[in-house]
Amino acid sequence: MKPVYLKTLLIAAIISMACTTKVSEWVLLNSFADKYRLVYYHKGDQATEVVTQHKELERWSETTNIVFKSEVKQAVSDPYYALYYGNRLFGEYDDSSSVKSINTSPVRDKVVEELLAGKLCVMLYLKSGNSEKDNQGLQVIKKSLDSSPFSEIITLIEIDRGSTTEKHLVSLLLNVESDLKEIDEPMLFGVFGRFRALEPLLGRGITEDNIKLLIDFLTADCSCLIKDNLPGVSILCKADWERPSPALVNVILDANPSLLHR
Amino acid sequence: MNQDSAIYDSLSTRPLPKWLTDQRDGLNTYQPEVFEMKDDNSLQISIVITGIIIVITVVVLTVYFFYRNKKRL
Repeated sequence: MKPVYLKTLLIAAIISMACTTKVSEWVLLNSFADKYRLVYYHKGDQATEVVTQHKELERWSETTNIVFKSEVKQAVSDPYYALYYGNRLFGEYDDSSSVKSINTSPVRDKVVEELLAGKLCVMLYLKSGNSEKDNQGLQVIKKSLDSSPFSEIITLIEIDRGSTTEKHLVSLLLNVESDLKEIDEPMLFGVFGRFRALEPLLGRGITEDNIKLLIDFLTADCSCLIKDNLPGVSILCKADWERPSPALVNVILDANPSLLHR
Repeated sequence: MNQDSAIYDSLSTRPLPKWLTDQRDGLNTYQPEVFEMKDDNSLQISIVITGIIIVITVVVLTVYFFYRNKKRL
């Protein structure tokens, strides 16, 4: 092969390795959500009604990042469901009615809708129940978003920790890190890609600087380091990620090249 | 404000998320070096030279065979 062709081929290969796609867009388009595992532990005999319900749970894998399986365990006194993320136990449920809405909720539907519409991210503000702390954090978030050039493509959603309609989502968010359940502070989760929740900012960590870093993280070029070791946890949700709208971050960056990371 | 309470202090010792400290410290930004393509005419030059060589070769061989076989014609 002529050296000039070899050189051209080599340069093309190197250029293709350098990615200028932004983190939020790259993850949405290329990174599949991690799958949860829902296991039904029982002694062996299952009622017809339960078997029918389990067929429905098995079908969830077509629309939700979950796989269902049933396992015989002689040591079990009463059958129960266990939800795993990797090898981490995220929750246990006594009966099928408890897991019925585990994969969907109004806030999750809204988050999916926003991400598919091309938004940069959704910020989920999980309130602690202490109104003073919650309001203080909320003010900081709103101030940060107001001053950000990306404010129009970031959606802020508040969630009460005690919400019954969002109890599964709250539980999933509090499982993003092992000690979050014990921390009684407001938390801010950056959600991007296919419902990937970053480890949260919490309490006094909710600052303008840290929120700016969160936005910077999502608007930066997606480096190999991030691709290989994507932070955060995929949240369980029912969604069709196949046809997202073009990322709105590119419109802002094209109009304001000074916002590009150097 | 209970920011100085023992509960709040315990959070001070809790590390910030790694993605955030990496972003702050510029550790997320490694990218392979981008090579910019410069004007490279070597391919065109190569094609033109090859064409010229072919034409010259054809002409030389034509003349050679023409003179060699001239006596028979």
